[in-house]
Amino acid sequence: MPESEGASGKKVSKQEPIIQLIVFRLGEEEYGIRIEQVKEVTITPEVARMPKTPGFVKGIANLRGDIIAIIDLEERFNLRPSDEPLPSVSYTLAIEAKDYTIGIVVREVPQPLSIPISIIEKAPEFIQDINIQDKYIEGIAKVEGRIIVVLDMLKLLTPSEIMQLQPK
Amino acid sequence: MKSREQEYREIFMAEALEYYDAMSRHISELEKAPTDEPALNELFRLMHNLKSNARAMGYNQIGEVAHHMETIFGLIRSKERIFTGSLVPVLFTGVDTLGNMIRAVGDEQETETVDGVEELLNNLDRLVKGEEPVLPDAAAVDDDANRKLELSDLVYIQIKKLDHLLNLVGELIIDRDRILTLSQEIGSPALQATAAHLFRISDELQYSVMDARLVNVGSLFNKFPRVVRDVATAEQKEVELTLVGQDIQIDRNILQIITDSLLHLVRNAIGHGIEQPTERLKAGKPAVGQLTMSAQTERDDVLIHVADDGRGINIASVRRKAVERGLVSKEVAASLDDAAVRAYLFEPGFSMAQQVTEISGRGVGLDVVKLAIDSLGGQLRVDSTLGQGTTFTLVLPTSIAVKGALLFELDERSYAIPLMHTDSVVSLWPEQLHIVGGTLLADLQEERVPVVSLRRLLHNGDGPLVPVQRADVVGRQDIIVVNYNNRKLGLIVDRFLRQQAIVIKPMSKPLDTIDLFGGVTLLGSGQVCLVLDVPALTRLFLAKRP
Repeated sequence: MPESEGASGKKVSKQEPIIQLIVFRLGEEEYGIRIEQVKEVTITPEVARMPKTPGFVKGIANLRGDIIAIIDLEERFNLRPSDEPLPSVSYTLAIEAKDYTIGIVVREVPQPLSIPISIIEKAPEFIQDINIQDKYIEGIAKVEGRIIVVLDMLKLLTPSEIMQLQPK
Repeated sequence: MKSREQEYREIFMAEALEYYDAMSRHISELEKAPTDEPALNELFRLMHNLKSNARAMGYNQIGEVAHHMETIFGLIRSKERIFTGSLVPVLFTGVDTLGNMIRAVGDEQETETVDGVEELLNNLDRLVKGEEPVLPDAAAVDDDANRKLELSDLVYIQIKKLDHLLNLVGELIIDRDRILTLSQEIGSPALQATAAHLFRISDELQYSVMDARLVNVGSLFNKFPRVVRDVATAEQKEVELTLVGQDIQIDRNILQIITDSLLHLVRNAIGHGIEQPTERLKAGKPAVGQLTMSAQTERDDVLIHVADDGRGINIASVRRKAVERGLVSKEVAASLDDAAVRAYLFEPGFSMAQQVTEISGRGVGLDVVKLAIDSLGGQLRVDSTLGQGTTFTLVLPTSIAVKGALLFELDERSYAIPLMHTDSVVSLWPEQLHIVGGTLLADLQEERVPVVSLRRLLHNGDGPLVPVQRADVVGRQDIIVVNYNNRKLGLIVDRFLRQQAIVIKPMSKPLDTIDLFGGVTLLGSGQVCLVLDVPALTRLFLAKRP
């Protein structure tokens, strides 16, 4: 975590390191991922449903010759009723996880956003605790009245995390 | 396409020239330090190898010279001769003469055309006997100034690089199919012509890369005479090994993967199949047991047999054991034919140590062999006659890159099943299907084959399958009969599509934990197509059947 005490509340100086986020909407909230974790953003390619996988794993898709898994985080975190189908055009963020690429499907076009690193506040402990999983919430950024939850995708997308509901 | 003969000669040439270069280097070292032990050992070894290779290829004259040279170097090594005086020029001439003869082979000339071989052999003989060699005039010998230098026609390449090349070709083929489909959709004649050309070129490229990876089965088989000797000695048995079909070609990685399996089968055959000499004589067999390893091609597959003439597999014991272990009920076991009973030998951990003698020791780790063959998309079969012997047959693909597959449709999506595991394709009407204990059964060529709806099997939850009702079966049923480990299973699909050669990409992480799918392939339409893994599917059915 960056040192945020000194900067919070003060005017941000020009030398402040800036980070770029890709911001997208899940349910009613906005979430952000550091741009270096995002390989590309694309219109969701045709997805082949894969039997014997949890429902939030939408299936597999051909992304420029790479076969990647496409997952729906809204369904994973119950942010939207699971019977609501995806719109005809959706977008996929291809994320570089540790040793594979995975796609995250979102309903609206993701937007890039540059913010000074210091405005990311550490998430309150109680939020972390609600979600039992590893601390994949890096922090919360307040930008012009918007609240953006910054996710650490590498922690969110471990294979055991993704496949935890896999029937044995 | 080159003939096998020519290919062998090129390999011989490349190795022989390499030996010749090394000989020239070492003999020069020896001239500077006449007692240099490593150089002497190398020269001795090089002569020996050249001799063996040349004789195997029928170049007897090269073999003869190399043999004589080997003898002299042996004598120098054992300090009976010293690398000095008149011996030195004779040996240098010997190395040069070998070089000339090897080049003669390369130019497709008889080695007899090389001058001075007779004199050389006579001189070498004299040296062995301790006489003085007859040396020609020094002036006549030295034409070394216009000696030719050659580079080998063969390169050694890491298999990793070939793997990479093969992967790239696989990607290329997928894109090519896509381009071909697109060119037909767009309908531009120029584009179609280019696409057709691309098709041919990439086909040839794929074939060439696959061809570059092929090695002789013999490169593995030839390691077995020693293994057989060692195991037979340890087991106090007499075994004669026969190798057949060493020149059959197969992908190098496939050979690598089956190495342990073959070792296992051979050890089993000697340890548990072939009896002690006294026991064999009592049974009216010759004391020496016969073990045969053979390879043959059958269509696109390579068949490898490991056959012994030992005591065979006792079906009754296996049947009893399968019931004891709860793999099958007593009633069902009694009705199974021999082949079906033998299939239990491949169940994980089927044969435990205390059972070894009882079922002739077969089954120890056979499941491991089975898994290795499965991973290649191959088949493992066993055939045995009690008292007469056992034959294991490995059915292997020639190449790992491309597999024949049957494409079908389910819920408007394409799936593929490798042809290796497909038995037949049938369409049946409801009245041709019976329901027994909640499972559909079809009578196919005097055989009752369980049939299951693939949709139900794939989308069933964690519990067992719901028993089938008569009302569930409506209309014509398109069924693919798959065969794994001698168990047939019919899969009801929506529609048969076609047969096609596909390039299978392994499932990427994190979905690779789902073993139902052996991988994915991309169709010409760009659609992702899941490739079903028949072994896993069969296991799933057995575990979930009502």
